[in-house]
Amino acid sequence: MKEPLISFRDFSFQYRSLSEPTLKQINLDIYPGEKILIAGPSGSGKSTLAHCINGLIPFTYSGTLSGEYSLRGQRPADLSIFEISRSVGTILQDQDGQFIGLSVGEDVAFAFENDCMAPADMKPKVTHALDIVDMLPLHDQSPHELSGGQKQRVSLAGVLSMEADILLFDEPLANLDPASGKHAMELMEEIHRQTEKTIIIIEHRVEDVLEQPVDRVVIMAEGRIVKVGTPDEILSSSIMREHGLREPLYVSALKYAGCDLLPKDKPSSLAQVSASPVVKERLAVWADSAEPASKSAPHPPLIEMEDVRFSYDGEREIIRGVSLAIGIGERVALLGNNGAGKSTLSHLLTGIAKPNAGVIRLQGEPINSWSIRRRGEHIGYVMQNPNHMITQPMIWDEVALGLRVRGLSEDEVKTRVEETLRICGLYGYREWPVSALSYGQKKRVTIASILVMEPKLMILDEPTAGQDYKHYTEFMSFISHLADSGMSFLFITHDMHLALEYTERAAVLCNGELIAVGDTAHVLTDTDAIAQANLKETSLGALSRLTGVSAPEAFVRHFIVQEKKVNHHE
Amino acid sequence: MKQSIFNFDTKTVVAIGIGAALYGLLSTITIPLVPQTGLRPAIAILTIFGALFGPVVGFLSGAIGHIITDLTWGGGTIWWSWVLGSAISGLGMGLVYASSSFNVNEGRSTKGNIVTLAISGSVALAVGYGISSILDVYLFGEAPDKMWVQFYASAIANIAVHLILGVSAVLGLLKLNRRNSNLRVLK
Amino acid sequence: MSKAGMLYIDSDTLFHRMDGAAKLIVLAVWTVVVFLFQDIRIFVPLFLIGIIMLLSAKLPWKRIRLLVWLMIVFNIFNSLFTLAITPAYGSEVSGSTTVILDLGYNVLTLETVVYVLTLSMKYMSLMPITVLFIYTTHPTRLASSLNRVGVPYKVAYAFSIAFRYIPDMQAEFRNISNAMQARGLGFGKGEGTLSQRLKHFVSIAIPLVQSSLHRIETISNAMDLRGFGKHSKRTWYSATVWHREDYIVIVTSLIVLIAAIAWRVQGYGTFWYPY
Repeated sequence: MKEPLISFRDFSFQYRSLSEPTLKQINLDIYPGEKILIAGPSGSGKSTLAHCINGLIPFTYSGTLSGEYSLRGQRPADLSIFEISRSVGTILQDQDGQFIGLSVGEDVAFAFENDCMAPADMKPKVTHALDIVDMLPLHDQSPHELSGGQKQRVSLAGVLSMEADILLFDEPLANLDPASGKHAMELMEEIHRQTEKTIIIIEHRVEDVLEQPVDRVVIMAEGRIVKVGTPDEILSSSIMREHGLREPLYVSALKYAGCDLLPKDKPSSLAQVSASPVVKERLAVWADSAEPASKSAPHPPLIEMEDVRFSYDGEREIIRGVSLAIGIGERVALLGNNGAGKSTLSHLLTGIAKPNAGVIRLQGEPINSWSIRRRGEHIGYVMQNPNHMITQPMIWDEVALGLRVRGLSEDEVKTRVEETLRICGLYGYREWPVSALSYGQKKRVTIASILVMEPKLMILDEPTAGQDYKHYTEFMSFISHLADSGMSFLFITHDMHLALEYTERAAVLCNGELIAVGDTAHVLTDTDAIAQANLKETSLGALSRLTGVSAPEAFVRHFIVQEKKVNHHE
Repeated sequence: MKQSIFNFDTKTVVAIGIGAALYGLLSTITIPLVPQTGLRPAIAILTIFGALFGPVVGFLSGAIGHIITDLTWGGGTIWWSWVLGSAISGLGMGLVYASSSFNVNEGRSTKGNIVTLAISGSVALAVGYGISSILDVYLFGEAPDKMWVQFYASAIANIAVHLILGVSAVLGLLKLNRRNSNLRVLK
Repeated sequence: MSKAGMLYIDSDTLFHRMDGAAKLIVLAVWTVVVFLFQDIRIFVPLFLIGIIMLLSAKLPWKRIRLLVWLMIVFNIFNSLFTLAITPAYGSEVSGSTTVILDLGYNVLTLETVVYVLTLSMKYMSLMPITVLFIYTTHPTRLASSLNRVGVPYKVAYAFSIAFRYIPDMQAEFRNISNAMQARGLGFGKGEGTLSQRLKHFVSIAIPLVQSSLHRIETISNAMDLRGFGKHSKRTWYSATVWHREDYIVIVTSLIVLIAAIAWRVQGYGTFWYPY
């Protein structure tokens, strides 16, 4: 038996500012050359575990440690953070925070510079590292010219150049669009195969990680390790669902269909599991039980964009003749990769940008000339990060802010804020400071602060980013509830799951053009449009195609009906 | 835990850089009063960074931020005298950091701390930009009477920004970070 | 500022090839020399030499005209302001009085007009060399150059961080401010009274500051994890080797500096008035 590289024995950790330990009784051995996924909902302690492995605990974040932890047989507290960083290279989830240099080459060389290496010696090493991650041609680019995925690859090169033999990825998929995420996972696997480095991935998006081979999966919840096993063992159990993690969609579908998954069925491989005749049979029976799709009545239009065009510089068009209508009470997903023009389109709606050509109408009235403020009375915009929107220390004041600016009387402000807080489930917290809230609750506060203005359309930018499945489900059912009361929603997202489950219609934007608009299940199983927009097909579509049990669109629709029933009961 | 004033760790380096970036960025927003001088909301950044990170960060973010603004908007001149003024102001804003009862990150402060911040910052602004004005007379040969007008205008404007925006922003941050131990969900 | 947040314009001229530290020394010497004197007969040649150097760097006019206009506008305002407040100051420094206009509260003298022109030329003579430095030095070279001329590396690196994150923070500022405007909070002209506008400014600044504090934490973790501050010095990937040109320029600058000081010590170069 090989000696473990990293070994935790009855290990616990408590941050100094907190009253409860964040990690409790951790027992885990990681062996050289392993590829491990550590998954868990937010607050499970997985990031804290990562901080212990890379030395930020105890060197940057102090607290009480108990039990044993060793790295190559040494106690990290006896080392320095610099010595630990020679063994453990960390790739942080915030690509901009990690990309410190002013050019690609300079960033990769950062560790060499700190080591006082002569510049002439650095160059070949930088070149080599950039070559591995396929970024050499962009050697002189500045970070602002790169996409998130490219920045992440530069960070990876920076860590590879340090020759650390453990690579620690902290939520590598958090800020990436689906195509870049897939690419990142492939690159990790390639490096793992070629260099035999030990790879530890901290992530809650399990499905995307398991598309590539992984040796073991560690599931964490509430500061403890609740299960360790091979991907097949984990997926055939119900452990993920029990702890609020999202199972791969195709695995959920198989479970709904009543397939008793066993590790020997290889549920971690979509191709293998869907080749099983038993699985095919079960799925066929399940798919046949689908009720025919009910046609919802068409919504009268609220917002109409007609052949809208926009360019910043008068030369390169960012939005090229987009026509899109959003109905009253309708939930629409605007999908597309980074750079497709999604934010620009939302800027055109909110008035931050003015179209060069085309008309935007609100209930039939052209609003092209309306100011941001005037449009704000009808169109609310919620940013991705709630911390970018919250300006007041107290929840009540934050929600009241927009009304007070409008000059409403304090009595009216009071009535409307109270009502909104009730709708958003925040009434009990009305006297709380914002700082005492969780990320998800802050997100609700930002919704409340827009909702109180009674807009007709709310635009939500990546509403579920940074939230785990449990909070995501809670948040989105809250939004659905609002939509049922007649408000329209536009979700700007590259999360296909979200679009599938919570929107009626989807529009796919690619290079400033709408390449598909229609019923969400239909659009998301349109493989041509998905491929063209560089998005990722959900595994449900792939499952129905591989097993041939029914048309992908009907299959997906049936799945969503089932999913809603289950979530409703939980 | 708070760091000693002279402990130049990585976080200090980054705080200087980010403080300078914020100060430089927001310095482009000016409500002009007299040439080269105006109401600059960016002064509040010095108040905030001084209070949060201390005099060293205040001094250097003031200096670097001012240089960056001049490189971009200074019409091709770095106004070294005024760079020094911004730096000294930042230093003064940071003096309150030395008090053990004052910690913005933990939401702790006393009335005395806030008064100290208000006064030391105001004095530093007056002294800092006073030195700038005197240097302008000696280095550039500006007319002293004209410099006095500029000095009074800029000192009053900047002290106003410091007191109205800066100190209230620090109070806001203190409130945001204050740990409320007896929070109950109300009915 | 360009999208990349840098003013640098790529090209291959003598000034682009020169080491950043050498250029910094030239800039410093030039600035000191200008500070020493108050004589338009020195500033005009300096300005012309500067312009010739600037032309040799072949910078596109389109990119630098904003700075030049800012400088000209500044000089016009500064001159008018000086003339209005101290219309007889030129006579005070020159010792002669030639009245050209009676303003009531004071008289405007010809000496003051010459003084104002001298002052403007003083500012103008600093412009070309600064513009040259800004536009021909890649920001990656700035920190290493500062370190080379003696600035501690941690301070020099703070410069680099500021340049790195200004564009990100600018974008963030714009996003926050747009979202606030949609809620009715603007701080531009016509968005309420001065105090309301200032209040709205705070509303935008608070999230920006909060997110900056978060950013500081992430960046300093990333830097710690990659060994920043391990040693008492560091090397620089972008550092260049000094060539013959660099040495020539530095030696020339130092000679000029010594000559200028010597000349000034002997009493030359104070305010010059032709009549």
